[in-house]
Amino acid sequence: MSQEPWQPDEPGKREMLRMLQYETIFVTDPNLAEDEVDELVKGVDHLAASAKGKILKVEKWGKRRLAYTVDRREEGIYVLLVLEIPTDMVKELDRRYRMNDRILRHLTVRVENEAQLGPSPMMKPRPAEREDLPVEPAAAL
Amino acid sequence: MRMRRSEAGGGGRDRGGKKQFKKKFLFRKKKFCKFCDEKIKFIDYKDLRLLQAFTPERAKIFPRRISGTCSKHQRKLMQAIKRARTLALIPFTSD
Repeated sequence: MSQEPWQPDEPGKREMLRMLQYETIFVTDPNLAEDEVDELVKGVDHLAASAKGKILKVEKWGKRRLAYTVDRREEGIYVLLVLEIPTDMVKELDRRYRMNDRILRHLTVRVENEAQLGPSPMMKPRPAEREDLPVEPAAAL
Repeated sequence: MRMRRSEAGGGGRDRGGKKQFKKKFLFRKKKFCKFCDEKIKFIDYKDLRLLQAFTPERAKIFPRRISGTCSKHQRKLMQAIKRARTLALIPFTSD
C-alpha cells in the first residue's frame, strides 16, 4: 500500500464527515511472505490514521483455496480488517486496493451488525461442531 | 316435484375429485423461512457453511419457491452470496 498522504475530497468539509465502521477484506497473492502482508495492513492503518481513523480488528485467515482461479492463482491469503474511518475514505481505500497488483480481490462494507466486530465465522471451530445454523433446506420436496 | 339442490346429480363426482387432490398433497410439509424461524437477523457473507446450504450442487442460489425462505431474508441471503462470490469464497458455478 502506498504511503503518500491522503487528501479528503473537500478539505473544508472535514469536520462534517462522519466516522463510520467498515469491514474490509482483501485477498493477496499466495506467494507473499508474512511480513509483506503485515506491510499491507500497516498501509491501511497509516491511511486510516491520516484522518484520525483507526483499525478496530485484524483477522488473518491465512492461505485459503480460492473457489475459482483468479489471475492464474488457485490460492490467496485472506485478511479481514474492521476500521473506523471517515465516510469519504472508502473511495480512497478502494482506489488503493485496485492499484495494488498484489491484491487479487477486495471488499469494503459497512458494519451492520455487532456480530461483525467479534470473531468471524471463519475463526469458529469446524462446521461439524457448530449447532447454531439452520438445517439443510431442500427437504421440503 | 322439485328436486332440492343438494340432491342434484354430479355433486358426488366433484367431492371425489377433491378427495383425490387432498390425498396427493397430504404428506407435503408446510414450507417456512429458516431465518425467521431461527430469528437470524443478519446474514454474514463470511459464514460459508450457511451460504453453502443455500447454494447446492451447481452453486446456484436456491430458489425461494423451493427453500421457502421469505422474500426479506432471500434478499439478504442473495446479497451475502454475491459478496462471498466476489471474494472467491464460494464459486459462481461448479459442475
